[in-house]
Amino acid sequence: MNRTEQQQKAQPPKSLTVMQRRWRKFKRLKRGYYSFLILLGAYILSFFLPLLVNNRAIAVRYNGEWYFPAVKQMLVENFLIGKLFGMNYFYSGKFFGQEDNPGECNYRRLKEEWEAEGSDNIVIMPPYPYGPIEDIGVEGNEPFMAPFETKNGSAPRLFGTDDRGRDVFARMAYGFFVSISFALILAFFEYAIGVPLGGMLGYFGGKFDIYMQRLIEIWSSLPTLFLIIIVASIVRPNFILLIILLSLVRWVGITTLMRAEFYREKAKDYVAAAVSIGVPTHKIMLKHILPNSLVPIITYFPFSIVAGIAALVGLDFLGFGLPPPTPSWGQMMSVGLQHLTKWWLVIVPLSAMFLTLLLVVFIGEAIREAFDPKVFSRLR
Amino acid sequence: MLYQYFLRRFLLTIPTFLGATIVVFFIVQLAPGGPLEQRIMQLQQAAATEGGGGDVFGTTEIPPEAIEELKRFYGFDKPIYLRYLIWLGVYPRETDYQYLRPGKPKPVGEGVRLMVVKENGQYKLVNADDPSKPVEGWYIGKERERFGETVVEIYRKEFSGILTGNFGKSFVYQEPVLNLIKERIRISLQFGLIALILSYVICTYLGIQKALEHGTPFDLVTSILVFIGYSIPGWALGAVMLILFGGGSFWDVFPLGGFQSPDYESLSFFEKIWDRAYHAILPTLSYTISSFATLTVLMKNSLLENLSQDYIRTAFAKGLSEKRVIWLHALRNSVIPIAANIGFIIGVFVTGSYFIELVFNIDGFGKLSFEAILTRDYPIVFSFAVIAVLIKLFGAIFSDMVLAMVDPRIRFQ
Repeated sequence: MNRTEQQQKAQPPKSLTVMQRRWRKFKRLKRGYYSFLILLGAYILSFFLPLLVNNRAIAVRYNGEWYFPAVKQMLVENFLIGKLFGMNYFYSGKFFGQEDNPGECNYRRLKEEWEAEGSDNIVIMPPYPYGPIEDIGVEGNEPFMAPFETKNGSAPRLFGTDDRGRDVFARMAYGFFVSISFALILAFFEYAIGVPLGGMLGYFGGKFDIYMQRLIEIWSSLPTLFLIIIVASIVRPNFILLIILLSLVRWVGITTLMRAEFYREKAKDYVAAAVSIGVPTHKIMLKHILPNSLVPIITYFPFSIVAGIAALVGLDFLGFGLPPPTPSWGQMMSVGLQHLTKWWLVIVPLSAMFLTLLLVVFIGEAIREAFDPKVFSRLR
Repeated sequence: MLYQYFLRRFLLTIPTFLGATIVVFFIVQLAPGGPLEQRIMQLQQAAATEGGGGDVFGTTEIPPEAIEELKRFYGFDKPIYLRYLIWLGVYPRETDYQYLRPGKPKPVGEGVRLMVVKENGQYKLVNADDPSKPVEGWYIGKERERFGETVVEIYRKEFSGILTGNFGKSFVYQEPVLNLIKERIRISLQFGLIALILSYVICTYLGIQKALEHGTPFDLVTSILVFIGYSIPGWALGAVMLILFGGGSFWDVFPLGGFQSPDYESLSFFEKIWDRAYHAILPTLSYTISSFATLTVLMKNSLLENLSQDYIRTAFAKGLSEKRVIWLHALRNSVIPIAANIGFIIGVFVTGSYFIELVFNIDGFGKLSFEAILTRDYPIVFSFAVIAVLIKLFGAIFSDMVLAMVDPRIRFQ
């Protein structure tokens, strides 16, 4: 028993709920707590990626009018609000006076041109002026540039470019946003299926439970990733389809956990008491049992995230993940393995995945420790 | 008691196996763009190019008889539930198709000549040499048009499916799937088994040491390894090792993949062993890492937990040496969870192997099945799924058996 807990015992007036105590213990586990802060910060920051790492300008002043392509892109792609309003972040080169460019405006060149002319038109570029999707089709992008290589005085490529001239650093950064978002949404659906289903199985039992148990047994004996690959090789998958496919596979884990938890809790006295005073069943499940079953829900979460990211990277690696040109770590690795001499193509996405998963694992460890009332005491 | 339990477990695998195969079968068979469609498309393209390519947009029609025959070759001429039963081997499969012109005898092997005659508007099959002899084993199929003639097809029936050990013939390799698998699974098993033994030896030992030296620098340093194991899939680590040691960018220590050198046959015996080992080091490491973290932590925690139990206190109290207490008393109880994990891990090694085999370009079972998905080689795809399901099912039972073996207290009900 450590000092703070002794103090709490000595001065009982301020009592903490179990959750508050666990949160405090979690905060004391520095490695996990800081990993949590770093990951949270990085993910929040990654929502603003279009303003930080992008080939589109944050702001353009042209003939006295302001335009904000990168901001619009952020609202459309990362916050999804822009989509509702039908926002369009595409400005052609002609629009800004690049007469030879009917395609999307090349803001880097635009900036150079206007600065050379000394006109009062302004282009404000993001700090890292390369996007994740622009390839050799855009001037200045060359395949297989080495890390820190510059061409004609342009901004250096932090981690070089890939086989199609796409910037590796930009793809890695956007890949982080995609991977974490994917894993979070997948975990949400997993829980949305698994928690209610597992709860009902554990609480009601009976025939439904027996049949579902058989189904779960069948499900967990299937080579699931193999099946997903089969389906994905037939139907070109997109973000939503992948989420659906993987949730169809992954609901089993949390369902089993919740079933066991509800089954155990149901037998306890407080449930019997609640039943005997006539509390309706849904209230017993939601208000009485569920708060007592939070331990598996929370401790399972980080491992579900790790599994989600690993599954996405694996599928992308095989070419059955998100449709190209979505920036994804797995796709970057598969390109890298085809070009073994260009080491950065593999090392960069892999390090990104490793660090991300490491942070999640640290968080997971800390959560488990914070929730574990047991303390190992060795005798010798 | 125990026998009864395991008998029940074995019997319960049957419905689970059927359920799992139904799921796999229906998913794969109902998917569009199967082998039939692919083949038809290939034929259309071939016909279009042969025809001089005059009309790009005009679809070259394939004669309906050919499509019918293709359908039958791929087994798509029957409704899906029948296809499943045939595939299982509980519904007769139609084989040895022969086409008979009505009234013309035709030898069908074994010195028998058969003839189809029309009686009261119905076809009847008779022995051409001795009409009084009944015809056994042959059945009349449909009447169809072939090359402008009316013919009647006859066939034999045969129960032949995965339950009778017939996994079908690969569409691509034109070889029985079992032969292909036998060839490839040897390679996969070599890696899997070595990695299995390696990971158990390493992880058990490391786990014990980590538990005994809990909190020391050794524990912390090896924890880094464990965290690496947790946060990086085995195949991804394999990719890093290829980059680092494969000679592309950094050190040229190991080969870029494959199972053996191209000049393997010309090597002497010891060179052969070395050549295999040399090719196997990186893939085996990748396999090992995939179960490394789980096993090590399981061993460590289990030993730590046992060391804090009362019976250990008692053992110490009666004056036993630390060595004896740890290695005889604590360890026996601590290996239980890690031993019980073995069935699960076997499954991971056999079915989770396609990533590593793809990274290292090893022609194993996993790579074969992955390529079969791409080429829609259904017999191989199904066989992989069946074997994966079987390994998972029996792996779980095997785990429980091991558990019952190492822990005499276990009572299954």
